[in-house]
Amino acid sequence: MNLSRGARDAAIAFGIIVVFGSLAMLLAGVNPIDGFSALLIGALGNVPETAETLVQTTSLLFPALAIALAFRAGLFNIGAEGQLLIGGLLAGVIGERFIAPGFIAIPVLLLAGAVGGGAWGALAGWLRARFSANEVIATLMLNYVAIQVAAYAITGPLKSATGAGNETGELPASSFLPTILPDTRLTIALVLALVLAFLLRWLLRSTVIGYQLRAVGDAPRTAQRAGIDLAKMRFWTMTASGAIAGLGGATIVLGVLHRFNLALSPGYGFIGIAVALVGELDPLWVTVAAFVFGILQNGAIGMQAAANVPRDVVTAIEGLIILVLAGRRIITRSGAD
Amino acid sequence: MFAFLWLMLVKSAPLVYAALGGVLCERSGVLNIGLEGMIAIGAFSGVAISFATGSAILGAIGGVASGALLGAILGLAATRFRVEQIVAGTGINLIALGGSAYGLVVVFGQPGASKEVNALGPTGEIAMVCLALALAGLLHVFLFWTRPGLHVRACGENPRAADVAGINPLRVRFWATTAGGAFAALGGVFLAMAELDLYSDGMSAGRGFIALAAVIFGRWNPLGAAAAALFFGAFEALQFTLQRTGIPVEFMQALPYVAALIALAGFAGRARAPAADGVPYRR
Repeated sequence: MNLSRGARDAAIAFGIIVVFGSLAMLLAGVNPIDGFSALLIGALGNVPETAETLVQTTSLLFPALAIALAFRAGLFNIGAEGQLLIGGLLAGVIGERFIAPGFIAIPVLLLAGAVGGGAWGALAGWLRARFSANEVIATLMLNYVAIQVAAYAITGPLKSATGAGNETGELPASSFLPTILPDTRLTIALVLALVLAFLLRWLLRSTVIGYQLRAVGDAPRTAQRAGIDLAKMRFWTMTASGAIAGLGGATIVLGVLHRFNLALSPGYGFIGIAVALVGELDPLWVTVAAFVFGILQNGAIGMQAAANVPRDVVTAIEGLIILVLAGRRIITRSGAD
Repeated sequence: MFAFLWLMLVKSAPLVYAALGGVLCERSGVLNIGLEGMIAIGAFSGVAISFATGSAILGAIGGVASGALLGAILGLAATRFRVEQIVAGTGINLIALGGSAYGLVVVFGQPGASKEVNALGPTGEIAMVCLALALAGLLHVFLFWTRPGLHVRACGENPRAADVAGINPLRVRFWATTAGGAFAALGGVFLAMAELDLYSDGMSAGRGFIALAAVIFGRWNPLGAAAAALFFGAFEALQFTLQRTGIPVEFMQALPYVAALIALAGFAGRARAPAADGVPYRR
């Protein structure tokens, strides 16, 4: 990525946060200095809060990497939210019933999450590849189908003995992800996400598949003439993207909540779009962006508690960042051929 | 039976408004993922302005104006700045949903839901149901029988050709998206001020996306989209009567989205979007 452009984008994002955040706080009758310091203290003020910020970073990083990967192939995956939910659902309903030592249970359940999300992504990929169905609308619709499927599953056929209406019962402790820091929710999921970011960067930059994937995104016609099967490439990219998001859903179930809950994600799949864009679709910078958004997400909670600024202001500001930054780069979307 | 029909109309009206807004935008070549946020902002602003002024009519007008403003922002982003429309629409949704939730605390001093305000009442509800149906017909006449309507469609099919013919696609798209935002906001005004008399968080509840589904299912025609919205509204109304029959309510709620997927895949006949739908235009 072009560092100066990245720095400029980061400056713009920072400017939006400061200017509109201050305006919103003034509207709520709060001194912006108090509000922002409450946000920063809430996010990074001590070790437990910093750990929780890293938990948010992790939960954002999976869908953001998924979206960035799809974007690079010219595919708009607006369905990370649904893929994350289905991945979490599979990890949750299997995990609740599957008792095994951690070194077996954890990989199996993470794989289940990736398979669930991957299947949900594959569905959109199949509609795209087979019927030229617009994947934006398809993934968007599948988000809502996912919510209904999950709601039906945990209240109907897969209802657990102990689970409340909107969630499953707790998973056996052996399938909890090991924590990195004692007494926090920061688990090896962070390591997993960082390794994944590294692998994706290597895949995109140094492998033939990565080159082909970018070729499909940058110049589909040329790629096709060079012998790349567009339909196949799009199908598998969408599947892989879904699998990454689904894996993220599983890490939330195994590492953060220890059960599947319908409200698993406060919009990670949508905010992930902003994270992917601010990170210039480069896994390395997406990771940095996820940390910044992790600060916002977790700091908003502290800000609400300490300075009485409703945390929703952060959602609105994230939307503004998306709106402004999306215009600053040209993302090629492959047409319906 | 009459009660069911009325319930169907009431459940359909917000979808009809938003779907008509979607048709107008997409016919001009702008894909509007932000309908959901426009419904929310219309509902919230309507209630907030009614609370501030004590007038339901002023509230309704303000609600529509706020939707138009959001539509104008999307229109400007999609034309002047050539922002990727899908991403911009997602941004619009976050701004509107986050902003409304934030605004609740600022205006009413409480999260979750607003206080009750002066609303349009039963007469207003009937009037707005009729208006929704009338607008479907009017938009159809506008798009297919009038000269400006032809211009809108030309910009969605082939902006280059339209430009050569002396129509400014950027201007047409901007105004179509602004009007589309106002239409969608009318749906929000209906939810918060005709059906109810307050705003609560999450009130739009995915209706903007069901409206997008109705646009596809109705094949980008105002009458088709309104019919699809009525169909989806009927299913929402059925949920109240079918709860005892054992059909899982989740199936009914997933139906609009599944129907859209089927239409998208072309199983229900070719669903063809305007050729330049979602494609930024550079003069």
